[in-house]
Amino acid sequence: MNVIGEIIGGERRRPYPLFKVCLAILVLAMAGGFSFNLLMPQGIGWLPPEIMSPRYALAGLEQVKALHDQGALFVDARDAGSYAQVRLRGAVKLPADELDQVYPLLKSTLEAAPALVVYGRSLSRFPAAKVGQFLRDQGFKAVYVSEYCLDSLQEAGLSVQRRRRGGQS
Amino acid sequence: MSPWQEALSLLARLFVAGVFLYASYDKVWEPAKFAASVAQYDLIPLWSVNAVSVVMAWLEIILGAMLLLGLYTKAAAAWASALLIFFTGLMIYAGITGAGFDCGCFPGGVPGEAHAAGWLGAARDLGFLAAALWLAWRPGRWASLKA
Repeated sequence: MNVIGEIIGGERRRPYPLFKVCLAILVLAMAGGFSFNLLMPQGIGWLPPEIMSPRYALAGLEQVKALHDQGALFVDARDAGSYAQVRLRGAVKLPADELDQVYPLLKSTLEAAPALVVYGRSLSRFPAAKVGQFLRDQGFKAVYVSEYCLDSLQEAGLSVQRRRRGGQS
Repeated sequence: MSPWQEALSLLARLFVAGVFLYASYDKVWEPAKFAASVAQYDLIPLWSVNAVSVVMAWLEIILGAMLLLGLYTKAAAAWASALLIFFTGLMIYAGITGAGFDCGCFPGGVPGEAHAAGWLGAARDLGFLAAALWLAWRPGRWASLKA
C-alpha cells in the first residue's frame, strides 16, 4: 500500500453540492459568532451602543436647516480626507477615529457654539453617531446628529466648500 | 492535475489560509474593535454593523481553518474569493474617496501602525484574490482532507 502516496494525494475527489456546503459554512460562521459574543465577556450586543442608548438628539432635514439658521456649529465626523475634499461651509472637522487627538484642539470652539450638529457621509451614520455620543459624554447639552448625510444637506440648500484645484481648500 | 499544478494549489491554499487566519484572530477576539472598523466605511446601516462584523470575522477564521486542513477546499476558496472581491471593492472605494483610515484588515503589531484603506490595499487584495480564484478553479488534492 502506498500510504505516503495516499496521504499526499488526499481523499479522491468526489463531487459535493457546492452551494449547500457554502451555505453550511455561513451558518457555522453565524452560529460561532453569535455563541462567542453571547458567552465571552468581550462579546458585543446585537446593536451598537450608539443605537441602543443614544444620548444625542436626532435631527431631521427641517430641524437641521433651522439649527443652521440659528447659528449652530456643524461638526463633520467623516475622515480627514473626505473633509478636505468637500464639507459644509463653516463646519469643523472631528473625525470619529481621531477624537482623542482632535477634540482638545476644538474644545473652545465647540463650547462657544449655541448648538452642535454632527453629520456624516451616507447610510451608516456611524461616524456621526459616535461623535455625537462622545460630545454628550464631554458634557455638551445641545448635540444633534443629522439624519441626513452631506449630499442631502447640500441638496436641501446648505452651502458646501470644495477643495480647489491644486489641493487648496 | 499535473504535479506542478498540485504544488501550486497547495502553496496557494496554505498562503490564503495563512492570510485569513492572521487577519481574523484579532477580529474574532476583539469584536468591538472590528465592528468600529466596519462602521467607519459608512456603507451599511448602523443597526447591522455588529451582526455583519461578527459574521464576517467568523467566516474568515473558519475559511482559514478549512483551507489549512484542505477541507472542502473548493467551497472555502469560493467564499474566500467572494470576500476578497468585496474587500478589494472597499479598498478601491476608499482610494476614490481618499479615506486613509485604518482598513481594519489586519491587526497592527506596533502602536500607531496601521494598514491604510486605499489603492495599495486594493493591489494587495488583488494578489490574495488571484490565489483564491486559482484555488476555487483548481483546489488540488495534495495534503488535503477533502478537496
